[in-house]
Amino acid sequence: MQRRKIGFLIIALLVVLYPLVIGDSYKVYIMNRSLIHAIIAMGLVTQVGFAGQISLGHAAFYGIGAYTTSLTVLKLGFPIGLGFLAAILMCVIFSVFLSVPSFKLSGFFLSLTTIAFGHIVWVIIVNWQSLTNGPLGVFGIPGLKLFGIKFNNTHYYYLLVATIALLYLFIKRITNSFIGRAFMAMRDDELAAECSGINTRNFKLLAFGISAGFAGLAGAFYAHLSGFISPESFVFAESTKFVGMAVTGGLRHLLGGIIGAPIVTFLPELFRFPGWETYYMMAATFIILMIVVFMPDGLAPLFEKGFNKIFGERDDVKGGSSE
Amino acid sequence: MLQMVLQNSISGMAMGLLYGVIGIGVCLFWQTTGLINFAHISSAMLGAYFFYTFHVMWNLPIVIAFVLAVALVALYGILILRGVVYRQIMGRKGGRLEFIVATMMLNIFLLNLTIVLWGGVPYPFPNIFGSPMNPLRIGGITIQHHSLWVLGFTVALVIGLNYFFKRTLTGKALRATAQNKDTASLMGIGVEKMTALSFAMSTGVTAIAGILLAPIYFVSVELGGGIIGIKGFASAVIGGLTNPFGALVGGLLIGLTENFSVFYISSSYRDVITFVLLVFFLIARPQGLFKKM
Repeated sequence: MQRRKIGFLIIALLVVLYPLVIGDSYKVYIMNRSLIHAIIAMGLVTQVGFAGQISLGHAAFYGIGAYTTSLTVLKLGFPIGLGFLAAILMCVIFSVFLSVPSFKLSGFFLSLTTIAFGHIVWVIIVNWQSLTNGPLGVFGIPGLKLFGIKFNNTHYYYLLVATIALLYLFIKRITNSFIGRAFMAMRDDELAAECSGINTRNFKLLAFGISAGFAGLAGAFYAHLSGFISPESFVFAESTKFVGMAVTGGLRHLLGGIIGAPIVTFLPELFRFPGWETYYMMAATFIILMIVVFMPDGLAPLFEKGFNKIFGERDDVKGGSSE
Repeated sequence: MLQMVLQNSISGMAMGLLYGVIGIGVCLFWQTTGLINFAHISSAMLGAYFFYTFHVMWNLPIVIAFVLAVALVALYGILILRGVVYRQIMGRKGGRLEFIVATMMLNIFLLNLTIVLWGGVPYPFPNIFGSPMNPLRIGGITIQHHSLWVLGFTVALVIGLNYFFKRTLTGKALRATAQNKDTASLMGIGVEKMTALSFAMSTGVTAIAGILLAPIYFVSVELGGGIIGIKGFASAVIGGLTNPFGALVGGLLIGLTENFSVFYISSSYRDVITFVLLVFFLIARPQGLFKKM
């Protein structure tokens, strides 16, 4: 028991000390980007892993969030906090549209619908030039400020870590409540779930809403962190990357998104040997492919096992994984 | 006016047939596995790149280069797609979700592999399907030689597939496998062999589509990562997924819709209209237009 606490303390310390030890502003910036992606991946874990509703169009919500906050802040003069809220709200509203097909479709057909949704949103972002400035993107999005201090990368890092911790608790509460049970029942057998009195429509709406809200929040963070957004960041390949992150981390594990996103982001960096520059992306994608094919549960269960081995077991903390 | 309509129909049909051929590949895969391969369009990219390597870089004759390229892609389908990805996931009784994600990652890996092997710069495709500079002119309508080649290939493919499925024993065995694996295996059909065959056919047909697409898209990674694969899925879904020839009709529908929406609405919203069509069909008629072959 005591040893476990030490383990958690060590991890917390590592997380807190990371930007101070690294000290390199650019590396912290990349870490921030990966944490933003982790928020989306967490949403995907909830929606895909727990509720079984696949989505390959999350770059669209990411984009809607980023554009909503930057346009409301720049054009309507909203304060940034309100911009964040608007981003989340807008994504939840759009998620209602996307979840309507899921009432009828599942599996491959649902994934095709979400791909189509992602593309439609992207094309609209590119072509609605009067609103979004088209392919050129939106410039000069103000960064976050608190008590007159402009946020630098380290500040953003701590803010993101705190946000992720809160979201983790939120998801954990949800998955351990009747909502999570309903999600899992719906994932495993929709008909049986309906027969047990679960209104699958409502829970699908909820699953889509939660993960879209997460993606919107991530988009808002991204817009204010980088100060510039363009449609390039919201293409279909990004959606697959998000799903890849969730799966690499572990689709059925609460920590999946949090572990998967930094790994997928930093894996290419590991292969950047001098003289190997052309190969590093290939090597990284190859490893991710191998993880997906040979380790379908992802890395999070492995991580949990390793942690338990070093710092001792505790059975009642099972992270809400169902199998 | 009539001339414009005819012109648009012809160019829309040429593109639509190509989507349809990709869709045929999707159907052939779905028939036996009940799965959609999200690395499907990589086969088209690989086919185009192999053909380019054999024909332009190694100066092999067109026919040999074509056959070699298609055969190599079919081999990839059997060895990598089936031998590694499909085997692993099905051996574990993995679900559709795992297959979707695995093939998507396979697609990204193949894109990066292609960039490493061939470089990211698009290669211009040689004018083996006729030069775009001197198209056929009938009345006021211009027809690219390439479109005629596409039509020829598609007709040959349809006749060949129809003969294969209806007249040969292997084709009948494949259809039986598609209908019911357990019964087929009770009838003495090697279900494993048939699955391998359908993997090879699916990737091979898509490779042909890739080679035919190369004059339009160049030999580039755009072929394997772009929107075109989704249009192949869309044409298969509209056609009903179980009928390869339905996919051709679906492809034609998409190609024509695209071309006329460019003509009447705007070229920038072309893809939106295609995807709206896809979503509409998925919701209103998920079983597609055609019955099982």
